[in-house]
Amino acid sequence: MLHLAEQIDAAAAIVRSQWAERPVAGIILGSGLGGLAREIDAAAKIDYAELPHFPRSTAVGHAGRLVCGTLAGRPVVAFQGRFHLYEGWTAEQASLPVRLAKALGAGGLIVSNAAGGLNPLYRVGDVMLIDDQINLMFANPLIGVNDDDLGPRFPDMCAPYDRQLQEVAMAAALEHRFVLHRGVYVGMLGPTYETRAEYRMCRRLGGDAVGMSTVPEVVAAVHAGMRVAGVSTITNAGTADALDETDHSAVTQIAGAAAERLGVITRAILQAL
Amino acid sequence: MLELYDQIQAAAAAIRAQWDHKPLAGVILGTGLGNLAAEIKDPVAIEYPDIPHFPRSTATSHRGRLVCGTLAGQPIVAMEGRFHQYEGYPLKQITLPVRVFKALGAELLIVSQAVGGMNPHYQSGDVMIIDDQINLMGDNPLIGVNDDRLGPRFPDMCAPYTPELIDAGLEIARQENFVAHRGVTVAVTGPNLETRAEYRFLRGIGADVVGMSTVPEVIVAVHSAMRVFGLSVVTDMCLPDALKPANVEEIIAVANSAEWKLRALVLGILQYEADRARS
Repeated sequence: MLHLAEQIDAAAAIVRSQWAERPVAGIILGSGLGGLAREIDAAAKIDYAELPHFPRSTAVGHAGRLVCGTLAGRPVVAFQGRFHLYEGWTAEQASLPVRLAKALGAGGLIVSNAAGGLNPLYRVGDVMLIDDQINLMFANPLIGVNDDDLGPRFPDMCAPYDRQLQEVAMAAALEHRFVLHRGVYVGMLGPTYETRAEYRMCRRLGGDAVGMSTVPEVVAAVHAGMRVAGVSTITNAGTADALDETDHSAVTQIAGAAAERLGVITRAILQAL
Repeated sequence: MLELYDQIQAAAAAIRAQWDHKPLAGVILGTGLGNLAAEIKDPVAIEYPDIPHFPRSTATSHRGRLVCGTLAGQPIVAMEGRFHQYEGYPLKQITLPVRVFKALGAELLIVSQAVGGMNPHYQSGDVMIIDDQINLMGDNPLIGVNDDRLGPRFPDMCAPYTPELIDAGLEIARQENFVAHRGVTVAVTGPNLETRAEYRFLRGIGADVVGMSTVPEVIVAVHSAMRVFGLSVVTDMCLPDALKPANVEEIIAVANSAEWKLRALVLGILQYEADRARS
């Protein structure tokens, strides 16, 4: 784990050599939401391949580069492409972007993902503000020797998603007149989509949406003392008793249609950070 | 993951060198179904160590060989002895035989397992046709770079067990006049049996039976676009508030006493698939 700090410093040095500003937030752009990167007034674009120790993104719909610049007038680092456990990366590797954003000076983290809806009141295409999460990934990025310089041994998780930022997001949705649910995200390993029985399980456990990412990143962000905001786009309805086939290209397309609303939320949160 | 493709081809070639037929189905004979292998006609038995990249079976009551031949008049390959996560094998290795079945031309996987019954309406010795599964193994055989030659990156799992075959299995049980349930299996790693609290938990999340196998093999079969028929034999009842210590000999004895039912289902499904292939 002590080795991790050196990996982060090496990657941060490369970024700083191309972009010297201090970001207010790191933004992780999930499935189909990569388009938000185009709205960034980019000062530097760095392929993950140029960053030492960074894994390469293998997932469809994930580009694999860092975009540094300003969004809504605030300096940000956006990660176009993330690392998933189903790709074979460890939870620690999956959370490297978060560590890098923190090392560059970011106090906030904005994460987005595509998720299956478990709450029967949710519709495909809806957006859910993540209020809380359940880790069903059988992995935790903090396992191992703790580096006290990065964060505490036992991070408190009573409010992993910043409550004040949640209020900002809810207010922005009200103002722009779109539905924004607030719910619980369940992180599963994947890459198989859930069975009907697994959807029922996740719902019974208290989940509103289920996906294959975000949880390790948010655990690392809480460990790093960052303020986190998370948004899920409901790309398929996991209502177990009327389940349709889940198709990844449809998931990506629906996620893309929610990009405008995610942009509204992201800009409002950046103003508040 | 990409070297997996070559491993599959190597294993399939070794089998074809001894038995050159296209199987209708691959059959995984779990606890209590081992004797079915003796009914395979014109058998060609290949020990696992003679098949490249196959692990060796270490579990009690599981032998370790592949038997190729005909069952219910249909060409099949059957695993006498399977591999479990609790033996220390990675899921990719456990599921290699399913990939090899597919490479040999099998479009159907028949899998059986011994399980603990948690649904209070079940009884020891009952058979459950698997309708659906919950993966609580903390792992997935598809983790890693996806080889698109083998299947899609994100397999849909809305019906991992072929609904038509579930109905066909229930009909066979009615014809043969025995009880067959239809339910949800949950897979845990084992090898310890569950605590009372764990049984309550597993029942609470919606499972009817619990086992230590089958789920990884079925995930890979779905990834390979195979039809799947899954059977569980309830070898002991695991009711948390009336729980007795499990006895492995007793479990195997119950599994053996239910064998005639599993046999009827396996033979009946093979016949069903053969009729379907012909029509």
